Amino acid sequence: MDNKRRQFLKSGLAVGGVGAFAAGYATTTSHAVHGIIDGTAGKKTKHPHHGNSLTPEYKVTENGKLINNPAQRVAPSMCFGCWTLCGLRVRVDNASDEILRISGNPYHPLSNEHQIPFNTPVKDAYIAMAGEAGLAGRSTACARGNGMMEIRKSPYRITQPLKRVGNRGEGKWIPISYEQLLEEVVEGGDLFGEGHVDGLRVIRDVKTPLDPLNPEYGPKANQLLMTNAGNEGRDDLFKRFAFNSYGTRNFGHHGSYCGYSFRAGSGALMNDLNKFAHVKPDLENCEFALYIGMSPAQAGNPFKRQARQLATARTKGNFSYTVVSPALPASSSLAAGDNNNWLPIKPGSDSALVLGMIQWILANDKFNTAFLTQPGPNAMKTAGTAHWCNATHLVISDKDHPRYGYFLRASEVDLGFTGTALSESDPYVIVDAQSGDLSVHTQDQPARLFIDQVVTTKQGDVQVKSSLQHLKESAFAHDLEFYSAQCDIPVATITALAKRFTSHGTKAVVDSHGGNMHSNGFYNAYTILMLNALIGNINLKGGVMAKSGGYPTSGNGPRYDFTKFKNKVKPKGIFLSRSKFPYQKTSEYKRRIAAGESPYPTRSPWYPISAPLLTEHLSAAVDGYPYRAKAWINHMANPMYGVPGLANLLGDKLKDPKQLPLIVSVDAFINETTALSDYIVPDTVTYESWGMVTPWHGVPTKTVTARWPIVNALTEKTADGRSINLENFLIDIAKKMQLGGFGDNAISDSQGNWHGIHNAEDFYLRAAANLAYVANGVPAASSEDMVLSGLERLLPAMQRVLTPEELGKVAFIFARGGRFENATEAYKGEEMKYKWQKPLAIWNEKLGTSRNTMTGEYYSGCPTWHPQKLADGTPLAEKYPTTEWPFTLTNFKSNIHSAVSNLSPRLNSIKGVNPVYIHPTDAAKIGLTTGAMFTITTPTSATKAMALIVDGVKQGTLGFEHGFGHKELGERAHWIGDTQQPVKMKSNDGVNINDIGLIDPTREGKGVLLDWVVGAAARQALPAKISLG
Amino acid sequence: MDSTKRSLMTRLGALTVGAAIIPVSGANPLTTTIIRNSEAPDRKGQSGKRYAMVVDLRKCVGCQACTVGCSIENQAPIGQFRTTVKQYEVTLDDGSSELQNVKSFTLPRLCNHCENPPCVKVCPVQATFQRDDGIVMVDNERCVACAYCVQACPYDARFINEETLTADKCTFCAHRLEEGLLPACVETCVGGARIIGDIKDPNSHISHLMREHQDDIKVLKPEENTQPHVFYIGMDDALTSKIDGKVAIYDPAGENA
Repeated sequence: MDNKRRQFLKSGLAVGGVGAFAAGYATTTSHAVHGIIDGTAGKKTKHPHHGNSLTPEYKVTENGKLINNPAQRVAPSMCFGCWTLCGLRVRVDNASDEILRISGNPYHPLSNEHQIPFNTPVKDAYIAMAGEAGLAGRSTACARGNGMMEIRKSPYRITQPLKRVGNRGEGKWIPISYEQLLEEVVEGGDLFGEGHVDGLRVIRDVKTPLDPLNPEYGPKANQLLMTNAGNEGRDDLFKRFAFNSYGTRNFGHHGSYCGYSFRAGSGALMNDLNKFAHVKPDLENCEFALYIGMSPAQAGNPFKRQARQLATARTKGNFSYTVVSPALPASSSLAAGDNNNWLPIKPGSDSALVLGMIQWILANDKFNTAFLTQPGPNAMKTAGTAHWCNATHLVISDKDHPRYGYFLRASEVDLGFTGTALSESDPYVIVDAQSGDLSVHTQDQPARLFIDQVVTTKQGDVQVKSSLQHLKESAFAHDLEFYSAQCDIPVATITALAKRFTSHGTKAVVDSHGGNMHSNGFYNAYTILMLNALIGNINLKGGVMAKSGGYPTSGNGPRYDFTKFKNKVKPKGIFLSRSKFPYQKTSEYKRRIAAGESPYPTRSPWYPISAPLLTEHLSAAVDGYPYRAKAWINHMANPMYGVPGLANLLGDKLKDPKQLPLIVSVDAFINETTALSDYIVPDTVTYESWGMVTPWHGVPTKTVTARWPIVNALTEKTADGRSINLENFLIDIAKKMQLGGFGDNAISDSQGNWHGIHNAEDFYLRAAANLAYVANGVPAASSEDMVLSGLERLLPAMQRVLTPEELGKVAFIFARGGRFENATEAYKGEEMKYKWQKPLAIWNEKLGTSRNTMTGEYYSGCPTWHPQKLADGTPLAEKYPTTEWPFTLTNFKSNIHSAVSNLSPRLNSIKGVNPVYIHPTDAAKIGLTTGAMFTITTPTSATKAMALIVDGVKQGTLGFEHGFGHKELGERAHWIGDTQQPVKMKSNDGVNINDIGLIDPTREGKGVLLDWVVGAAARQALPAKISLG
Repeated sequence: MDSTKRSLMTRLGALTVGAAIIPVSGANPLTTTIIRNSEAPDRKGQSGKRYAMVVDLRKCVGCQACTVGCSIENQAPIGQFRTTVKQYEVTLDDGSSELQNVKSFTLPRLCNHCENPPCVKVCPVQATFQRDDGIVMVDNERCVACAYCVQACPYDARFINEETLTADKCTFCAHRLEEGLLPACVETCVGGARIIGDIKDPNSHISHLMREHQDDIKVLKPEENTQPHVFYIGMDDALTSKIDGKVAIYDPAGENA
């Protein structure tokens, strides 16, 4: 003990001496006594005052000079803690290559309200985040963004190729060489002593039909299913392999169990059933926001940006908002005062609330006539509106008419048209507002809104109705009391909300998102979003905005053309998920018609308007309808965790290799799905990998996040020294099988010279060159930019792949973490700069003319009330009456955890379990107390959960927070060779609603409960009952 | 009962801070001599400044970015926190609305860097001290982990770090402020709720904010006479007058939560 300390001790302990002092504080006694006697207690800190706090990354002096800390670097990267994919700045220790801490990238609009101008030198961007200036200029990372760095060195990380030993799913693996991995996956054989398994080479036959009786299913190569979690920046390379090198039609991702009902419903309104576009509020200028099925600041995409915008909006004085949801979200704020409120609603009944509102709006003429009456672009120009819609277009409404549900065209009523009849150039028919005569939508004057009349066509008299008339009839199909009873919101509240929503002109918005994952989610979302159309707020400042998008990268760009290569194939055939193909064109349909039988119902539903669905791929592959799969390559997707009911339906089946003979996963960790693999290919984590991606939405300016390996990959290396990862695995398979698109001569430059793709940087550096040259290009980076962003480490790769001029420009982009349009470019006058172009669909023709293959009935072409339904149309409430199943379940996203964040100990220390919300009245009925365990049972399964009794949940509803209840991702200790992973990180990981999701009993080909129109997962509004214990 | 359940239950409870929040102007003037233990030359900090923080609760979205950012920046042992954000639901029932109005309320907490810090005076070894710039710190080489300061702090802002076995607490990231940088919690605050600055500088952002909201600035437990220097905007009167039953929806699992 040094003298100084002893002196302090003497004066401090004058009263009672060491003994009395220690006895007074039982809990710390041992530490204190130890410290007093030995002079050292715990582990000595780095600094006497600053303890073990990190050494700052740089210093900014009083006069604004930046002094670098040479022991660290600060590099831009991308977060993958959730699907917002924010731009990051990452502090790295140069000696250890360890990530020290993460915050936001100042250039990135997802981490700022207003990102710093793109041309700002890196040094100035760092200075702008320091001191007083930094308060306005701060660029943030959320809890996940901060915490996810821990996954890189997680003890659960997979760094070497693994092959299962024992049965599938048993959790026992042996490390194998990369060469053995490639050999076995490509060539197949008796790989597990269980009999022959076809390898990728045998399965790839792009000519022979996989099923001669149903040639439309496509070639045998379609028996390879390739899925990824989603586009985290490497989708382009993954799809290039799947579609154009290997030639399988079957690519899927997590979208169908993550908000797809919302996007599909939005796509119906946006007239975009291809990409399912949606809009987001311009929060900077709107006056009233109505959130239904989404909770900003609690979750959503973009999570962080809209949370920050909401925080700003609610403190500036002229903004208010209402959040409609079954469980109280963090979106509401007591501190922000009366400008916000939470409106509790019965799960799955949002469209009843909104149809009630629509009814009031139509009955009281509170809709935007100027917007709705413009039948086309010419009238829009005359009227000076920012957009137009098909409200006035006439729909053939006679159900027996062969063109039922289609829009009446000029050619049918002898009005002028060009080109082919019933083609794009054949105008829609409307009733002119002034004359009341039939006219065409291309006129430059408004049309009548409510039409219900008989029109004489060349084929005789036909009943037609305008789109808005259909909406009106749908909204008035029930009275307000009926809607009120469905959603359990008083009529007065419904009408007050409608009044409020229509009291701000076009500066009100309705926003929705992933909270629509009900079996009626599609119509729910279409209905909710119709409110925006009724007030005509689209493309307007203070209204809703279209996606601004990004810049092209790996396409046909100014430097390299990625789209053409030798031996390129085009995928053919029908998706395993029976989507985006009319059943009426299948051989099956024709056979059934020819046999004189009803073509309905089908064994499992077809989804005429849907994207490929990972909610159906696996059930279909196992059931064999339409066909079976032979191999599955999965990059990170986790449907067994994320699709409600799927683990119950398929967990055991997928353990049987006969059902799906070869499963290869590419992942840095073992999740609930990849645990069922035959092989695991280790992958890089986001800080170690390449990738390019545009924000999902909510950014009004063009943005591309471009990430590069800012730290070394911790995976093992291939024999030629490359890291083992997704890109190299696909490249090497392609090379081994001599497929096009990879290896030598895979990509041509603008001079026609060919270049090879032998590793990830060959691909992504050239994609970055395209990004650096499009739209007038970017300047060259300064050497200071390169040093301060840690980009020097990339120089050897850049020098090898790029020309000197390309290098400078690519460095400019990589030093800033992407390419970003300036925040000042968001608007053009009173309109958004980037506008939605397709007319909004008050009636969606494609939807209204498609049929449900389980019942043979037409879908409704406009928003309509539908209760929760099973696939055959049986209402859930009929099959599972409330007398037996008195509760409904609701699921909400966590503001801390995502489905992949379980591996961060720090996030888990903040929130490690998710007690289920239950209302005090419901809890009292069975004597349930907060903290007690209770059992939640659905018709399919049951789980035990901890109760949290709160007023903030609708009575009769149980609220589940998402991101918990893992059985893998650190919850199970796998054996790798003779080493076991660390056993369980925590004693309880809470519950996952998807574990008690429903299997649909009405389907012949078994599947889980899905949205009956689009096949999106249904995890909301499920029936349940509870019991103590 | 398993341990998870027990720990959850102990962390739940009524929101007690509400009644303790009154405007700054209501606090008593200091009458006693303040012990700062700051005689040593390395304990001066940035003389001439007085650091303080404003938390604009209207902007707090309860995202816990600050909690995690701080935890990493200051290398706190997992489960021990220098700053926390508790999330409450508050039921407002004034009898006037048809539906009971329930709202979420989040409260970031950290060391208040009091002008009259009770932790400093009780330190038997003078390890805890207050710099001239107002930042209360711990000398890890002196601290003997007696935890007198932990007990003395009315804000539960201190804990015995289980790795260093010394008293640990928020330092406003003094090591960053000294380099001209923002504290970790401030620079990663998603809602922009946390504002740090020098209140002696009339032109600082924090001085502007405090002037602009002078009637609405509140501190925690002013009756303790500690003169806290973490100031809150947006502590609604509803908190003191209409609070019904409430549960911490959300609570860091650390022992000092």
